[in-house]
Amino acid sequence: MPGLAGYIIRRLLLAPVILFIISLATFFLGRFAPGDYVDIQAGARATPEIKERIREELGLNDPIYQQYFRYVTNFVQGDFGDSVIYRGANVEDIIFPRLWVTLQYNLIVSLLTFGIGIPLGTWAALRRGTWLDPLAIGTFLTFAAVPIVVTIPILQWLFAVKLGWLPCCGWEVNRAIDDATGVELGIFSKNIILPVLVLTLPGIAGVARYMRSQVLDVLDQDFVRTARAKGLVERVVVGRHVVRNALLPIATLLGFELAGLLGGSFFIETLLGIPGIGQFGFESINSRDYNAIMAIVLIGSAAFVVANLLADIAYGFIDPRIRLGESQT
Amino acid sequence: METRRLVLTLTAIAVGAVVVIGGLAIALGSGGGGGGPADESPGLNLPDRIEGELRLFGPDPITLDPACAADAGSAEYIVEIFSGLVSFDRDLNIIPDIAEALPKVSDDGTVYTFTLRRNVNFHDSSRRVVAGDFKYSMERALHPDTLSTVGPVYLDDIVGAKAYNRGDADEVAGIKAVDDSTLQITIDAPKSYFLAKMTYPTAYVVDRREVDKATCFADTEWTRSPNGTGPFEMKEWVLGQRIELQANPDFYLEPKPSLSQVTYILSGGSPLVMYENDEIDLTGVGINDIERIRDPNEPLNKELVETQSLDTFYIGINVKEPPLDDPKVRQALAMAIDRDLIATELLLDLVVPAKGILPPGMLAYNESLEGLEFNPTRARELLDEAGGPEVLRDVTLLATGRGASPGPVLDAIVALWNENLGVDIAIEQTDFAVFQRDIKEGNYQISSQGWIADYVDPQDFLDIHFHSDSPNNETGYSSAKVDDLLEKGRTESDAQKRIELYQQAEEIVVQDAPWIPLSHGKSSVLIKPYVRGYIIPPFVIPNLRYVTLQR
Repeated sequence: MPGLAGYIIRRLLLAPVILFIISLATFFLGRFAPGDYVDIQAGARATPEIKERIREELGLNDPIYQQYFRYVTNFVQGDFGDSVIYRGANVEDIIFPRLWVTLQYNLIVSLLTFGIGIPLGTWAALRRGTWLDPLAIGTFLTFAAVPIVVTIPILQWLFAVKLGWLPCCGWEVNRAIDDATGVELGIFSKNIILPVLVLTLPGIAGVARYMRSQVLDVLDQDFVRTARAKGLVERVVVGRHVVRNALLPIATLLGFELAGLLGGSFFIETLLGIPGIGQFGFESINSRDYNAIMAIVLIGSAAFVVANLLADIAYGFIDPRIRLGESQT
Repeated sequence: METRRLVLTLTAIAVGAVVVIGGLAIALGSGGGGGGPADESPGLNLPDRIEGELRLFGPDPITLDPACAADAGSAEYIVEIFSGLVSFDRDLNIIPDIAEALPKVSDDGTVYTFTLRRNVNFHDSSRRVVAGDFKYSMERALHPDTLSTVGPVYLDDIVGAKAYNRGDADEVAGIKAVDDSTLQITIDAPKSYFLAKMTYPTAYVVDRREVDKATCFADTEWTRSPNGTGPFEMKEWVLGQRIELQANPDFYLEPKPSLSQVTYILSGGSPLVMYENDEIDLTGVGINDIERIRDPNEPLNKELVETQSLDTFYIGINVKEPPLDDPKVRQALAMAIDRDLIATELLLDLVVPAKGILPPGMLAYNESLEGLEFNPTRARELLDEAGGPEVLRDVTLLATGRGASPGPVLDAIVALWNENLGVDIAIEQTDFAVFQRDIKEGNYQISSQGWIADYVDPQDFLDIHFHSDSPNNETGYSSAKVDDLLEKGRTESDAQKRIELYQQAEEIVVQDAPWIPLSHGKSSVLIKPYVRGYIIPPFVIPNLRYVTLQR
């Protein structure tokens, strides 16, 4: 597929340009915002002279383009600079463990959301016109309609305080796996259940409704009528013809979901005590932790660019009608 | 066809995962339900619990370097891990710490001679703490390359400190290690609050072998496992997740720590729920929950402890520009605010209304102070004398915040001003960084702020904010009479006379109203009944070695 290959190469070449523009915008927006971390952390008693000397020493008084150049040079070499929320610690040492935590719970949530949403949407579509369809979709829409800042305390009260089944907060790494392999897995712990519930319940409705409308679209198409006219059993019609075709657009949705895997939710992580990236991102902006902000935005953007690319490529493979770049020939 | 199969396979995996995880959840859930906490006596039996472990909801420290910490959240850890010559006991008296007794002070009040205990070692037991370590540690806090914002502030009374901080001297002349056990500190004038400043972490001792190159912003790795001298030592610090301290068995003061371990949970969560679920042993109670906890029928009510904290929340006024340079306008604003209403109705008695600058519990606190009491009629008269409501037309109130609403207190104050004075004052919210800068630069008219004591001395409130030459005088207030009283207060050695000096100064300031004191905070904390001896200090002091766990 030369067309597809060319498309991929074009996209790959574009990616650094996109990241460069994003880095430039983030850097300058950050520095032009009034106030800096010296103001925030110096304490109420610090004299202006001391603060000025710190700025001088840390290079905050250099021209901004110099600071940017210095940052990018270091970043490309893998040095993300020091954090000021945790004074003197490398940003990479803080961010990667947090991204890993966020990735773990988001991955489970995505699997569950799609794993439940897709069959549910299909099931509901096939029962269009009966009361089961609106009941099923409506139930999950209710979960989607309640803000998570409301869901979290309710679930905490129910499962932690009232029933005493689950810890209300926190993140536990499985020690056995950690000792054996050095991989810090938090998904084999009771602590994972609440965040997964809180994120999955409202997410299902979106996928289910999307799937439902896709299935309904496909059901109306000629080849389905043909399949039925051939006398195929309904199970085969649905399984082999309807669902497969309806799943195609879901690939795009999956792409967005992939990009979102590294995006932590501030509310969830704060209220449930999960040491993920969402909490830290919020803190880093409030503390004007420039190096941390830059690293989070750049890693997030890179993930988005890559995920989009993957989704497009997957789409090209899956759907024979869309062969990118080949349509002219 | 191949690729379609792939999609279907992925879907199958997803569904499989749902089944597995769902099953896992049910298994774990029922496991917990069967033999869980509900059947057992609450508290010490939790499975993960280490014998003698106290579990706290911790703030995430910015730094554990004693020379650098400017915030209470960092100081809370530092006072347990490190120690200094003197410290506060739990009645807020200054007691000897690494010094074996309070220092001998020369007749002119400027030379402090400390004799050190001979049995104080660093945590790794490798070395005894000697006077030279103190000289090194304080000089390090003052050294320009250390980039400390607090060192030069807390240690600047010492002779030669300012020159050393500017880089004009090779040592701090006023700190002398006479021999291993004798340290002599000379200050520039007799100052009765100097010893209180020595309790602050900037005067703590650090191990020179590990902090050699470290500044406040670089090479800070040593703080992850610091070699201190305090009652507790670092066991493990996982950034953003938890800090575990363990008792220092060789601690030199009585009582030695009784807790085997203190675990701080740093990753956030919902503290009250964690407390109710026996995940932590102590939690603050916020305004949303206080009514429930105060209800005598609520089981948690018996575990509630409320204490006064040493702080003052106030409306600060920039007195340098019209119309707020007119004391009558400021008095009118002060007398139009019903502090009792705000404290009781709005904040549900989580604070006490303030009349003066100094909080209750502070030395020189004046119970009979005549403040600018709520008096809407008089307020309106004063404003009319100063030109009427029009003069306040373009005045705004600067506050820190990021929500849609600036909060009920400021809303109420603006509403009270509107109701009683007929003025419409706008609130401008900025984030903390901008707020700090605007206040420092005097780029504001009215602001909402708070001040927390660092040590129990009125100098910490009055001199710092209202002496005309103080760098922290953010209102621009200047009164020759007040300056005179404050300067006398710095050196007066008769305790009673000194209190009177500060009380007089406070009275003048309150009447001139560069500050409108609003309230003093209270801590409302839930403590598990098996935690004994925990007191809630009004500011950060070493506290944990007094705590024991008893069923």
